[in-house]
Amino acid sequence: MTESRRENRVMVELIKVGRFYPPDIEALTEVSLSVSRGEMLFLTGKSGAGKTTLLRLLCKIELPDKGLVEIDGMDLGKLSRHKIQQLRRRIGMAYQDFKLLPERTVARNIALAMEVTYQKKSFIRRQTKTLLDRLGLKSKVHARTADLSRGEQQRVSIARALANNPDLILADEPTGNLDAESTCRVMELFDEHRRRGATILIATHDSSIYADTDYRVLELKDGRIVDTKENHGTTGEQE
Amino acid sequence: MNFLFAVLGQTIRNLFRTWNSQFLTLVTITLSVLIFAFFSLIYTNLLNVGKQLGDDLRLIAYLDEEPVPALQEEYRRKILKFDAVDKIVFVSSKEAYQRFKKQLGTDRDVLTDMPQDFLPPSIEVYPVRSLDSLTRIKRFSDYLQTLPGVLKVQYGREWIERFYSFVQLMRIVVILSGTLLIMTTTFTVAHTIRLTLVSRAEELELLRLLGASGTYIRMPYFLEGGLQGLMGSACGLAALYILFNWIELQFTGSAMFGIFPFTFFPLPIIGTIIGLSTLLCAAGSFSSTRKIVQV
Ligand SMILES: Nc1ncnc2c1ncn2[C@@H]1O[C@H](COP(=O)(O)OP(=O)(O)O)[C@@H](O)[C@H]1O
Ligand SMILES: [Mg+2]
Repeated sequence: MTESRRENRVMVELIKVGRFYPPDIEALTEVSLSVSRGEMLFLTGKSGAGKTTLLRLLCKIELPDKGLVEIDGMDLGKLSRHKIQQLRRRIGMAYQDFKLLPERTVARNIALAMEVTYQKKSFIRRQTKTLLDRLGLKSKVHARTADLSRGEQQRVSIARALANNPDLILADEPTGNLDAESTCRVMELFDEHRRRGATILIATHDSSIYADTDYRVLELKDGRIVDTKENHGTTGEQE
Repeated sequence: MNFLFAVLGQTIRNLFRTWNSQFLTLVTITLSVLIFAFFSLIYTNLLNVGKQLGDDLRLIAYLDEEPVPALQEEYRRKILKFDAVDKIVFVSSKEAYQRFKKQLGTDRDVLTDMPQDFLPPSIEVYPVRSLDSLTRIKRFSDYLQTLPGVLKVQYGREWIERFYSFVQLMRIVVILSGTLLIMTTTFTVAHTIRLTLVSRAEELELLRLLGASGTYIRMPYFLEGGLQGLMGSACGLAALYILFNWIELQFTGSAMFGIFPFTFFPLPIIGTIIGLSTLLCAAGSFSSTRKIVQV
């Protein structure tokens, strides 16, 4: 079992996934997708194309109405509650709406993710400091997240997603509220995590962040994958 | 170890964040423990009074004739067969006469013309001094009545029966207030926890998304409930102790306290009350968080 898991080079697998909302919204239709371990992938498409829905399926916030979703070789539909919890601890997600606790400090919000995985206090302190330094939020450690600007909140939510050095990183419009410099810092961080071996899915409509990269770019339109741009074929093969 | 730190930290933060509803719960628990403990204290002291009953717990069986030693042995055996007793005393006609004479004191002249055996011989039975034997005294008396040669059985009937029914009443009060205590504490604790769950819905949702284990999510509430039970019952008992000392102060020197020394709960009982309250509150809060761990 562990043997086959180790050899599993595919981190994310979607087979003919469909997701519908009443009355007749097809958020995703027949989406098939395979993402290798250590790959960075961009999901693009207009607002309402189904990007967020796709990411939410990957950590079982939502269930597919059709098809199969597998993470690291495990069928999400068949996992026990306990296994789902364990899996979520290996996934870091930066939500489009941030999902920060507004009355808590920046440090507390980030620490929460690491307490859930039972990290050492010293690690939590060090990791929080490093991430905030890297994202240019050094002075905001003790600020309530409610008092931050949108761009600052966005970076806190990214810091929280990366805190546990997760195997799978899901970033939903991570640069939507950021200026060019912050965008650059965030992308640098993502790249470092990819080099460490993390698989990264980024949903975005900001073409500037994938225009000059070699990574795969998928375009969603009305819930379907319409275009796969495989920039020079460099994907997750390099691990 | 990290788990412990994380959970304890979470618990303490929870307590601080919702201190006002925590305080109300604490007061509720304190009051219900105080009420329950108050009645229990009266009850246990009544039991002690029962144990201290002196000669009132004596049964006297009058016999038709003087029992020879062999017959005395027979009576003793039959009495012991019914119940354990403190002691059995045989009083002959002559002894009864002497006692009576002593009681009459200066009026003993009236006895001069009487034969020395005009009083019947009797058996005095002293049951073990406990409330249990108090409740059985009627049956004991009925049993003695059935023994051969017994004319009549006497005991401090009315006094004992009244005391006994009072103890019965207190027992019901204790049981009722105990039930009330259990209901109010579990209800208020579960209610506060449910309120806090609603106010922390956002945080709980986030914890689920972060993959927090059921234990990590529920443990703080379990500890919170336990802590409230512990502090609430300790405060309730402390309040009762102060009350107890105050009452004792008001009555010092009065005759009642001389006869029946009123005592506070011994340590094991205090421990039991606190332990049970803690357990009750912890269980109440734990069960009310059952639903929140669904993925
Ligand atoms: N909970 C929901 N209930 C109803 N419709 C929804 C819900 N979530 C998403 N949708 C719809 O599904 C479609 C895809 O949404 P979404 O995945 O958020 O798009 P994107 O993230 O690409 O902007 C949209 O039309 C949206 O209105
Ligand atoms: Mg979206």
